[in-house]
This record gives sequence, C-alpha cells and structure tokens, in this order.
Amino acid sequence: MTEMLKKNASELDPKFRYEISEKIGAKSLLKCIQCGVCSSGCTVTEYVDMQPHRVVASCLLGLKEEVLTSQAIWTCSLCHRCTERCPKNVDYSFILALLRNMAVQGGKIPKEYSGSIVTIYNNGFVVPYTGGLKDNIDKRRKRLGLPQLSSPNLDEIRFIIEETGLGDLAKKEVDE
Amino acid sequence: MGEEYGFFIGCTIPLKLPHLEKAFRDVAGILDVKLKEMEGVSCCPEPVSLQSLNIDTWVALGARNLAIAEKMGVNIMTICSGCYETLKTVSVLLEEDEEYLGKVNGILNKIGYNYTGKTKVYHFVELFSQPEWLEKIKNLLIKPLDDLNLAVHYGCHLIRPSKIMRFDHPEKPVKIDIILEALGAKTVEFANKLECCGFCARLQEEIGMKLVEDKMTELCELEEEVDALIAVCPSCTTQYDRKEKIIARKTGKELDIPILYLAEVMAIALGIDLEDLSMNKRSVKPTKLIEKLTT
Repeated sequence: MTEMLKKNASELDPKFRYEISEKIGAKSLLKCIQCGVCSSGCTVTEYVDMQPHRVVASCLLGLKEEVLTSQAIWTCSLCHRCTERCPKNVDYSFILALLRNMAVQGGKIPKEYSGSIVTIYNNGFVVPYTGGLKDNIDKRRKRLGLPQLSSPNLDEIRFIIEETGLGDLAKKEVDE
Repeated sequence: MGEEYGFFIGCTIPLKLPHLEKAFRDVAGILDVKLKEMEGVSCCPEPVSLQSLNIDTWVALGARNLAIAEKMGVNIMTICSGCYETLKTVSVLLEEDEEYLGKVNGILNKIGYNYTGKTKVYHFVELFSQPEWLEKIKNLLIKPLDDLNLAVHYGCHLIRPSKIMRFDHPEKPVKIDIILEALGAKTVEFANKLECCGFCARLQEEIGMKLVEDKMTELCELEEEVDALIAVCPSCTTQYDRKEKIIARKTGKELDIPILYLAEVMAIALGIDLEDLSMNKRSVKPTKLIEKLTT
C-alpha cells in the first residue's frame, strides 16, 4: 500500500483535471464515480503503486505531481479492459496516454519508451533498417521470394516528428 | 469480394519475421485477395510508445499513412494488431473530430498530403471471418486440419476498445475461432483465453513472464492436448514463443506448445508445403504438430 499522503488544499492543483479533460477524448475523466471496476479487471493491478481508480481520483483532486511521477502511469500494459468495462465510459487507457504525454513534457521518460522515436526518425520503421542490418533483411526477404521493401520517405517523417514537437527527443538521443 | 486493398505490412513482420508475411501473401494469393503495395509508408507508428510520448505525433504520422491510401484510392489491409490499432484509432479519431482533422491537415498539407477521412482500416481476420470468405476458404481446403486442437489468443488491441475497433465482442470474441473451424480444426475454451500477453507492459519484465506462464501452464494441463496457440499479432507471437521457452527452462515445467501465426495455419490448410513455411523459425519447435500433419 502507498503511504498516507497529507497535503494542504493550497498545495493541490485544481486546474489539473481540466488540463486533462479539455483534450480530445478525455472529457470522460470528470464522470468517474470511483466504483473501482477498472482496478478490479486491470491486468497489472498487483504491480502498480497506484491503482487505476486511484489515479483518476488523484487527477480529480489535483495531485498533479504525484500522478505524473507515479510508476503506475507507465506500468500499464494497455489491454484496454478498464476503458471497455467502465460503466460511466471513462476512457482510462486514453487518459493514461495523455498523462504519459504530460510526464514526457516535464522531461520524465522511462528509457523503455524513448528509443522508438529515435529509431523511427532514423529509419522510418520502428526496426533498424540501415547498413549491414538492411543488407541482411533484404537477403532474407529475397530468399523467401518477398518483394523489395519500399523505403519510407524520411524527409516527410522527420518533418512530422519535428512539427509535432518530438524533434528534440528524436535527435538528442542520436547525438549521445 | 473483389475489393482491392492497400497492403500495410508494418515493420516487425517484414523486417523481423518475414516468414509470417510470406505465409499471409501465400494465403492472399490462393484466396485471390487483391493487394496493392503501399509506397513510401512509415511505421504505423507503433501504438504503445509513440502514443505515450506524444499523441499528436502518433496521430499525424498515422494520418500520413492513411492519406497515402486515400491517394491510391484503396482501403487498408493490416496483418499486425499494432498497425491495426494505430491506423484504425487514428481514422476513427479524425472521422469524429473535424477540428483535429483540420489541425493534422495543417501539417500534412506542408508536405503535399491532405486526408479527408475516407480510409477504412481492416485486419485480415476481419475479412476472412465474413461468411462469403469462410465459404471460399472451405471450398479451397487442400489439407483440412481435422486432427488439430487449437487454442486462440486474440490479444488486446484487435478487439478493444470496442467503441473504436468495432471488430468483435470485446470480452467474448469469436472471429478467429470461426476461421480455424472453417479450416477443419477444433478450438478449445480455457480460462486465460482473453488474458493479455504482457508484451506492452515494458517497465516490468515479470508481468509478461507471469501472464505467459499462467496461460501456457493452463493450456498444457487441459484434458485435451493442445497442438498450438494461434495468434494474429507479431508481438504476441514473439512474446509467447520466447517466454514459454525461458519459463520452461527456469521452472522445469514441461511447456512445449508451439505458437503459430494465423496465416501460417491457413497456408497449411490451403495446401502450401510445410517446407516452404519456415516452421522451425521459432523457439518452441512444432515437432509434434508437423508429425501429426505429415502422417
């Protein structure tokens, strides 16, 4: 169990709930009745530091920092059972994606999640496809009688990544 | 049945598991599914990390792929549950939210694309589970799988959230089962059928290990011997195949059920030679299954 948290009302962030609910697909946050169906069916419920219904309650209460630094928002396996079963149609798995986005904007990204954007920026695919790796993949495909892969248009893909705000993340990792 | 589809092959299958792509292309050839190669497409992009990092990047890259299909005048056929989830979710989001579509087009227009929201996205299970395709499959069977007991793993992203995927019942799906039955196989019911494979729970390896162990142990203990677990997603397929072997070694449990991709068993039933199907390209070799199919 998590430790009892004591906080003064002045330390809460009353706008946090609206920061989430104003985003597309997340208006449902405000409808939660704390029934706990999401947590009872959750695939990872025994592994998280905060169960789904408590994450939602914390968002509603304005416990922004606690939510965005919790391990719970990243442990989810995205099985979508919470969203499927919620009697009030709260889209928890989508809300969770938004919470992850907010954590990322604050610079908190687990390394298990940051690599994909670098690979896509460099290859267009989420699997490395350059140099010797590319040669091996091409040979294997040829042996199986499969057509040559069409190369993704990297200029366009990089433009989209940069235009939507992930350029720094994608390029920073390249330099390291 | 004559519709032509833009064939969205994704990344994991063509680059890491091309034998699964071959099995699907063989099946599509036999059933005369008209596929058009999609030039210049990128990763769908991958639903778990891209959506987590930045929803706008995820949607815009997905919308570019949808726009390429729209330009080609085709709907999209996917062979991976991840591609299916991304492209279908993006298409539904943009169909329902004109303002967001406008914002995404603001970016796409700068690189010469415009998405009007017309592209429909399918997973091949969706196609082959339709009555007319089931009938066609039955008529073209060369090697009915009468002797096989198969367990189905639907995986999460194919069926949920149902308000977006609109694919099958989110808690009691049947579409893969009915395809396998059309091939002549029997499918088994089991308690862990709808459990997640845990591949997307990246932070803690133990979650996946536990989920795989629970499912494979149950399947090995069923009264009727299970010949294979059938999946339709490259991530689920790899997760079960690799972890089953590791768990068997670690725990001493006799876990030896091979994992096959749906297109592979379809190809077998439709007459593709086992030797052309890279059956041993997996950790848990389908030795018993091959024996059963060849005697």
